Amino acid sequence: MSHSRFSKNKIYPYLASVGLVFIMTLLGEIVKGRLEPTNIVMFYLLAVVIAAIRWGQGTAIVTSILSVIAFDFFLVPPYYTFNVHGMEYLFTFAAFFAVGVIISTLASKARQQAIKAQEKEAQVTMLYRLIKDLSISDSLEHALYTIRINVAQIFDCHTAIFLPAGSGIELSSFDSGFPMEEHEKTIAGWVFKNEKEAGWSTDILPAAKAHYLPLKTSQGVFGVLGVFFKKDKEGLDSRENSLLNALASQAAAAVQRIKLFELSRQMELVRETEKLQVALLNSISHDLRTPLVSIMGALSSLLQDSSLLDAEMRKELLKTAYEDSDSLNRLVGNLLDMTRVEAGTLKINAKPCDLRDVVGTSLQALKDKLEKRNVRINISQNMPEVPMDFTLMMRVFVNLVDNAVKYSNQDMPIEITAEPSESEVKIEVKDKGFGIPEEDITHIFDKFYRAVKPRQVTGTGLGLSICKGIVEAHGGRIFAENNSDKGATLTVILPLGAKKA
Amino acid sequence: MANQNMRILIVDDEKTIRRFLKTTLISHNYNVSEATDAKEALEYSVSSHPDAIILDLGLPDMDGIEVTRQIRKRAKTPIIILSVRENEADKIAALDAGADDYLTKPFNAGEMLARLRAVMRRLLPQNERSIFKVGKLSIDISNHSVEVKTRQVHLTPTEYDLLKVLVLNAGKIMTHSQILKEIWNKDEDFEEASHLLRVTISNLRNKIESNPDRPTYILTEPGVGYRLSSEI
Repeated sequence: MSHSRFSKNKIYPYLASVGLVFIMTLLGEIVKGRLEPTNIVMFYLLAVVIAAIRWGQGTAIVTSILSVIAFDFFLVPPYYTFNVHGMEYLFTFAAFFAVGVIISTLASKARQQAIKAQEKEAQVTMLYRLIKDLSISDSLEHALYTIRINVAQIFDCHTAIFLPAGSGIELSSFDSGFPMEEHEKTIAGWVFKNEKEAGWSTDILPAAKAHYLPLKTSQGVFGVLGVFFKKDKEGLDSRENSLLNALASQAAAAVQRIKLFELSRQMELVRETEKLQVALLNSISHDLRTPLVSIMGALSSLLQDSSLLDAEMRKELLKTAYEDSDSLNRLVGNLLDMTRVEAGTLKINAKPCDLRDVVGTSLQALKDKLEKRNVRINISQNMPEVPMDFTLMMRVFVNLVDNAVKYSNQDMPIEITAEPSESEVKIEVKDKGFGIPEEDITHIFDKFYRAVKPRQVTGTGLGLSICKGIVEAHGGRIFAENNSDKGATLTVILPLGAKKA
Repeated sequence: MANQNMRILIVDDEKTIRRFLKTTLISHNYNVSEATDAKEALEYSVSSHPDAIILDLGLPDMDGIEVTRQIRKRAKTPIIILSVRENEADKIAALDAGADDYLTKPFNAGEMLARLRAVMRRLLPQNERSIFKVGKLSIDISNHSVEVKTRQVHLTPTEYDLLKVLVLNAGKIMTHSQILKEIWNKDEDFEEASHLLRVTISNLRNKIESNPDRPTYILTEPGVGYRLSSEI
């Protein structure tokens, strides 16, 4: 970018030096006669210093020469000739010229350092901006975009990033101005394989349209950055090249960071899943085995010791085996439901349903367990038809009522009420049992979570999380509260008329 | 001894399930034949004309629904389907293909025998029977009258028609579309007819059930249809 400024203003510094010398000569003319000419030389030294600092050594030397000529012509007697009286002035000329050269050398060095410092600062600013932008990107895609946009803004160019895919690399992020030829991709591939810059403005494959840099860290090459400059650009100077390389290595570091982050997130997920699977296996093997123990025990007893058992005892054993088979069956059913909820293959086939029928049929499915229970049903007379999947919502009510049975004493009633509002229907299953410890109330819908664990209560803690999955798939919600007196209320809220809207 | 001479064909590839069915059926005086795959089942159903077939949907060589379809092409033998889990789509497909009823594994012997009796009842000459009794419900078809606990119940014509369909098929599943066809004689405008069916069922329950919130006569088969309980 500074290139253009240089070429456009090549003559300007020399014109300026002429101007400076002219001004100094004018000042000299004013004080001429009142000051020794050797003192007036100081004005010209000032001009040389200004030229050196402002425009560099060349201009300073030209200024020195012009100063000597102007000094001699205008300010050294005899005036307005180049003739000089006395050796003294020749010495002044020589000394002035020498001082001019020395000052200009020093000043221009200082100037170059200042320019370098400025350029360094600009580079650092650009790098800083890239790093800052990258630090807030949390996905690879966004990081690649950030890198490209930064490089494109700094160099006014088109950019592309290639990432490894299969055995080679693939264009992952690019803007439409970037050349897409197969040949260009081949060069990018070469850069990836050899971990070296190549393409335009390099010694390797310079016929390419774009310049390619490896995105390299200590861990290896992550990809390739392609930079395509506008047509009239001739090449990269060393400063541009080093900035580009610095940007590329920052970009590589960012890509590495994000890749590591994504990897660790995956690992975390795997760990969580494994933890869950262990919990599941523990829970399942325990809950599957418990009913199996009593089934096998009862049946083996009947097989082996049949003659020792009276009719009453035989019936008792058979009843135990049958009841536990039933609970085993329900457990397997819940596991299957959970798998479907988890896999996201739960298909809601919502049709208008008679809520009273859904509740009644759910109770029918539990009729053995409810034989001695007092179940009060209070469904509002003006209950409209509710859009829902009959079978799946039945599973919700079976689980909720089953829970109420498990967590309350046999002589306690279970109450089911349902009340519609304008847009929703609220269904409550209320028991007068042990209630839910306050600290557990938000967790009971989590998988494998069981609040109180009374001895006789079996189950995997899957029931409520299945309910949650099913209710939410209906666009509804489910929550638990403790009653002010005794026990807990589980509430299901389903949207009405979702189908009509 | 009523079941004597009734021959039941059991089709299932699981040996333990065949054994359980066979033992139970023989103890109730049925004659039993067994088939382990669709090929055997089809051959046997042609050569020996069983009185009823208990057919597993998951056979190794052919889909049970297809087996049902092929048997139905030639014979009206009652077919009871055995399927795992509550997969309504499969059940409805099997019923549409001509199966008479289904049992979801695992099931208990009582359920199985009740289903079998219900589908076999269809084979009895219908005109001999005019009064049906289930529990405290009795319906006299020749008189168009319905009684619960000997108390006369007044039904609308639609309610009566619906109850009659269920009673004539007592114990057997009636799918939504079967009922709609029987009573409203149409299956177009399914949505509205279904609504009408639900309302009629609800009204009927209010009139004949002792606790309409927990019906014991008219039972809902979720997603499939209704069944009048035949043995209370």
